[in-house]
Amino acid sequence: MQLETAILVGIMFSVATYLVLHRSFVKILFGFLILTTAANLFVLAMSGSPEGKNAPIVLDAKAPMVDPLPQALILTAIVIGFGTAAYLVFLLYRLFLDQKTTDAAELYANSTEEP
Amino acid sequence: MNWPLLPFLIPLATAVVALLMGRPSVLRRSLVAGSAAVQLAVALWMATQTFGGDRMVLGVGGWGAQLGIVLVIDLLSAIMLSLASFTALITILYGFAEARLSIEHPLRLPLVQFMMVGIQLSFCTGDLFNLFVAFEIMLIASYALLTLEVDNWEIKETFPYVAINLFGSVFFICACGLAYTLFGTLNYAEIAVRAVALGDDPRITVLALLLLVVFGVKAGLFPLYFWLPNSYPTLPIPLAALFGGMLTKVGVYVIFRLLTTILPHNLDVIHSLLTWMAAVTMILAVLGAISRNFIRGILSYHILSQIGFMLLAIGLFTPVALTATIFYITHHIVVKASLFLIGGVAAWLNRSDDLDRMGNLWEKTPWLGLIFLLQALSLAGIPPLSGFWGKYLIVKVALEEEAFWLVAACIIGSVLTLFSMLKIWNGAFWNATEKVAVHREDYRWRRIAWITVPMVAVSLAIGLGAEGMLHVARAAVDQALDRHGYVESVLAVSGKENPGLP
Repeated sequence: MQLETAILVGIMFSVATYLVLHRSFVKILFGFLILTTAANLFVLAMSGSPEGKNAPIVLDAKAPMVDPLPQALILTAIVIGFGTAAYLVFLLYRLFLDQKTTDAAELYANSTEEP
Repeated sequence: MNWPLLPFLIPLATAVVALLMGRPSVLRRSLVAGSAAVQLAVALWMATQTFGGDRMVLGVGGWGAQLGIVLVIDLLSAIMLSLASFTALITILYGFAEARLSIEHPLRLPLVQFMMVGIQLSFCTGDLFNLFVAFEIMLIASYALLTLEVDNWEIKETFPYVAINLFGSVFFICACGLAYTLFGTLNYAEIAVRAVALGDDPRITVLALLLLVVFGVKAGLFPLYFWLPNSYPTLPIPLAALFGGMLTKVGVYVIFRLLTTILPHNLDVIHSLLTWMAAVTMILAVLGAISRNFIRGILSYHILSQIGFMLLAIGLFTPVALTATIFYITHHIVVKASLFLIGGVAAWLNRSDDLDRMGNLWEKTPWLGLIFLLQALSLAGIPPLSGFWGKYLIVKVALEEEAFWLVAACIIGSVLTLFSMLKIWNGAFWNATEKVAVHREDYRWRRIAWITVPMVAVSLAIGLGAEGMLHVARAAVDQALDRHGYVESVLAVSGKENPGLP
């Protein structure tokens, strides 16, 4: 499980970086969404290998249990990530409304013309 | 007692009440101003309490230090809390004096208070993940403030700010995860204990590098600073003063806390990397400042150049250099915020802050010129003003360490700072062109100019009473470097009896 997760996190980080480097707002947005998810998955993987362990709900005090703390952390991080993602969607939408473009290169190309 | 909750509970309550009160009103304004004054009083009281070497520690929710989140206030935190609440108080008052009730944006005050929650919590907390939460509160509020009153053209300058900080947050989560695998805890005190047990494991250096990237982004360290100089000038003046004074310094504070109290003291790679990045930041940012031609732009670049001085002193990592860092942070927050505000008054009088369209201010309003000059020379480091003492100590330590390139960078940075301040002085104050009008008939300029006076007075007091301030800074450094005392006082917090597993 550990190795597969590591590979998955690696793929997600590279896909996200690839997307964020695009010019299109939509791709940048999706890049960020994947990036936060990849980070969350990374933290989740830090609780160690789950094989042969129970979910962190104590039913039987003797059975081994997955470390619950990383799960609590990513729960917080997911909520925060959701908030910032919502903000980012609105910011990009407002940029589109104000500047009539969804292309980042076009947006910053003529930034020296006006004060 | 639960005192360590107060610094962030007061702004939180104020923000919520102000939101519920809805439309801007005199009552709402006085509530926020009163709350800002109370925050300042609480912070100063905490500084007097912790000056003797005590720490205020609280295990939140009655949990022990091993299980729950702890809040720790020592002298360094108390100094930062006082500076933050002082800057907030003055900038809030400035905002009141500048804008009539009818044009005040109803969300501005609640958002400023929410941002204060994040800032104050990041000074109080004793837990890495809690610090992440505090940063996010601060950042989300700052995103909202950046885009709240910005016009349709400048809105695009806010996107790099948001994007780079989103990246920073992602790295921060990853760093939390790494720290958890490495140490099995996120509590500062326990990390300090277990990092020593790990010896010189290279993973600690990797973690420290990752954290340096995260907080280097927030502090505006080379090469991660490009987002700052274009986004800050889009803010209204009082907010620009608060952002410019406080936000980047939260990053500096965290780097200071990490390297002194939490991580081992022998991370030489990190320290020397920090000094060199800081030296480059110092020079490049001041060159950027010279290239700008409007007051807020010049001042925004200066923030970065001064960040270079602070981080350089942290990188030198001797007790004297660290004392200089705290002294410098104190000086910088006050001077930078007041320069933004004075620049705002000047822009108000000339109806522009573009240096080509300004002038005649020295002739018409000499005392405004005088307080500007005091602050500008202080920023450049002319004795006996406050900026001099910090720079003097930093250069002295660098000479003792025989780091002559760093000394050269400091001196070049200071001279160029003086040059760019003179650029503002020549453009706005000294310049006596006929065509620029000084709008003194609008009586409000006097009011906003008077509000900057307490800040100027404080910065003069820091400069003239440098010995006392250095004494306080030294006490804060000794306390921050005393890892044993920190660990003991935090781990002494024991929770209620464990309920035990069923």
